[in-house]
Amino acid sequence: MKIGNVEVKVSIVAVAVFVFFTILLLFASMSSPEVRSQLIWLVPGLFMLLVIPIALNYMSRRQYADMEPVYEAEAKTVRIRLINESMVGKPVRVEGIVERVHFQFLNRPQYLVADRSGEISVKMFTSPNEDVKVNDVVEVFGQVIRRYIFTGDPVINCVSIRKIKKT
Amino acid sequence: MAEISEKDHPQNSLNSVLEISVPLFSFGGAFIAILFQMQGISIDFHIPALGCVLASCFLAYLAWIRPKKDIVALTTPIYSFIFFTVPVDVSEGILLQILYAVSLTILLIRLKYRFGKPGTAVTLGKELGGTLKIYIDRTRNAFTDINPKTAHSAAVVFVRFAEGNYGEAEQGAKAVLTQEDASDQQNTLMRAMSIIREHAMLLNMSLPRPVTYQTFPKKDLGLLAISPDPAQDADAEFYLSLDNALLILFSAAWNASERDRQHLLACQVFAQKLISSK
Repeated sequence: MKIGNVEVKVSIVAVAVFVFFTILLLFASMSSPEVRSQLIWLVPGLFMLLVIPIALNYMSRRQYADMEPVYEAEAKTVRIRLINESMVGKPVRVEGIVERVHFQFLNRPQYLVADRSGEISVKMFTSPNEDVKVNDVVEVFGQVIRRYIFTGDPVINCVSIRKIKKT
Repeated sequence: MAEISEKDHPQNSLNSVLEISVPLFSFGGAFIAILFQMQGISIDFHIPALGCVLASCFLAYLAWIRPKKDIVALTTPIYSFIFFTVPVDVSEGILLQILYAVSLTILLIRLKYRFGKPGTAVTLGKELGGTLKIYIDRTRNAFTDINPKTAHSAAVVFVRFAEGNYGEAEQGAKAVLTQEDASDQQNTLMRAMSIIREHAMLLNMSLPRPVTYQTFPKKDLGLLAISPDPAQDADAEFYLSLDNALLILFSAAWNASERDRQHLLACQVFAQKLISSK
């Protein structure tokens, strides 16, 4: 779904929740007159289960879209091995191959990206513009952060991940 | 004096005691509660539950001292506080304690097998260790006599490079190269500085590897941390020169500028990463 220039993606979990409560409401309203009398607020409430994730995704996607040019201008291209704890807060660009993808169904994908020098976790807190899969060669723009904010190994808080070559 | 083996180190002994204490305290608390209940003595549920609270704190400590953190184990004291401060019946409380003790034991096993060994002074950045220390010791004689000002500059350039401040690293390297005498331009440290300057400039401008680039000559092989493979391609040779140059700066700064050691220790993980590269 596209709102303005922003491609909005709803996670499968949000859709599953919406479908679950829709079915629940259907059964409940068929079997209970009390529920039917409350439909005036239950139906909008049900739609909010879809509208809120869509709105949140739209807002985060728009914000990320605004940040992309800033990172493209400021980020330095580095090999993964050069990324270390001392670089926390620095915008970086890395190129590599995607070795693993997690949590894509939550719209919070985490990638393991590797180049010849090493590998690093790339965390994204919204859905990416492109559907990135294992073995895709990608360029990543993001900021170096610690895995658990104050502690942990350095990872990339991804602002943009793009495929740069067909596999 | 004989060195204390890793196994006999007081810190490791304490860790072993704490590891045993996790199931001991958590199950022990439940066991005491069962004993009292069997005797028909009524005690406050919170007293035996303290065993689980303490066990959670031990587990969180064991998670904290590992370089790789387990967020689940780290947060167990919070759960213990929530579980054991709310009022529950004695029989329910015992069941809850047993289940919690089982969970803590599973988390302890998980911590031991998936999150590595507890951090040492090396991994925690308090002293040098591993192959980096071996390299620093091997190259000590070559760098102890260098000018302390140059050694300090080497530390600054290394730290700036590690921080990703490539512009500053380039300027720092340039300043050293322009200050030193012409004769010094021939030594290994100056060549390392020159290589770092070239790489810092390229990184600062996000430029790719140039067709011609600086490398170490054969006469410097003895001072390099990683020996180049004759069969390696140009990319590998280019990046290996940088890794070796950075490690030369680290060694020179460590051996000739004692006041910068704390800053260098803070970047030790980065240096270890470089030296472990192939």
